[in-house]
Amino acid sequence: MLLFRSEETVNQWCAAHNIPRRPLVDLEQLWQLAVHWYANRLTVESRRPTSDEMVSIFNSLGLTGPFWDPKSDEWR
Amino acid sequence: MPKDDLDTKVKLAMYEMTAETGRVPNSSEISRRIDIEENEVLTVFGRLHAKRILLPEPGDPRRIRMAPPFSGVPTAFPVEANGKQYYANCVWDAYGIAAALHCDAISRASDGHTGEPLTLEVKAGAPVLKPYVAHFAVPAGHWWDDLIFT
Repeated sequence: MLLFRSEETVNQWCAAHNIPRRPLVDLEQLWQLAVHWYANRLTVESRRPTSDEMVSIFNSLGLTGPFWDPKSDEWR
Repeated sequence: MPKDDLDTKVKLAMYEMTAETGRVPNSSEISRRIDIEENEVLTVFGRLHAKRILLPEPGDPRRIRMAPPFSGVPTAFPVEANGKQYYANCVWDAYGIAAALHCDAISRASDGHTGEPLTLEVKAGAPVLKPYVAHFAVPAGHWWDDLIFT
């Protein structure tokens, strides 16, 4: 997961590396993902979200579809 | 000690030592910290890997390559926080270090294509928003197929 100044440099990077263009996430969405994943990481009860919890988190941030579904085989 | 308790003890030691020093500890250092045999720590590393809590260094199970959001090796995502320097595994984890430590942080990263310096900052529990974007090249179902690439 790389950082880019703009969509334009993402497209240039994808073309240069022959990698398909995939979803973009803005910094507010990225921060919310970081909080969901890591805010309790240094505590006794910390754990990684389950697949269903991940889908719920992604959906709450507008990240929908099979790309964001950890159980999806569509991208195999 | 029950397996779950031991796993928690090793996990907490790993994260506490990383937070304190900026460096992800190895099995020997964790063994000394919590006073258990190194072989037991290595067994726990295997279970924590299965739970996707850590990624051992390929070819050297005594070392930890990733204790997300922290990286065991220098990366393109250095993070300054609490007067220490950490390394994040990716742009998501750069914010993740600030979220995990609950403090202000700054990451002097760069554009993945041009190399232009781009700074990510967290102040008072919120990101300093800029019009940058993160590109997720790998779908969620495959992040752990090759986590280093992801």
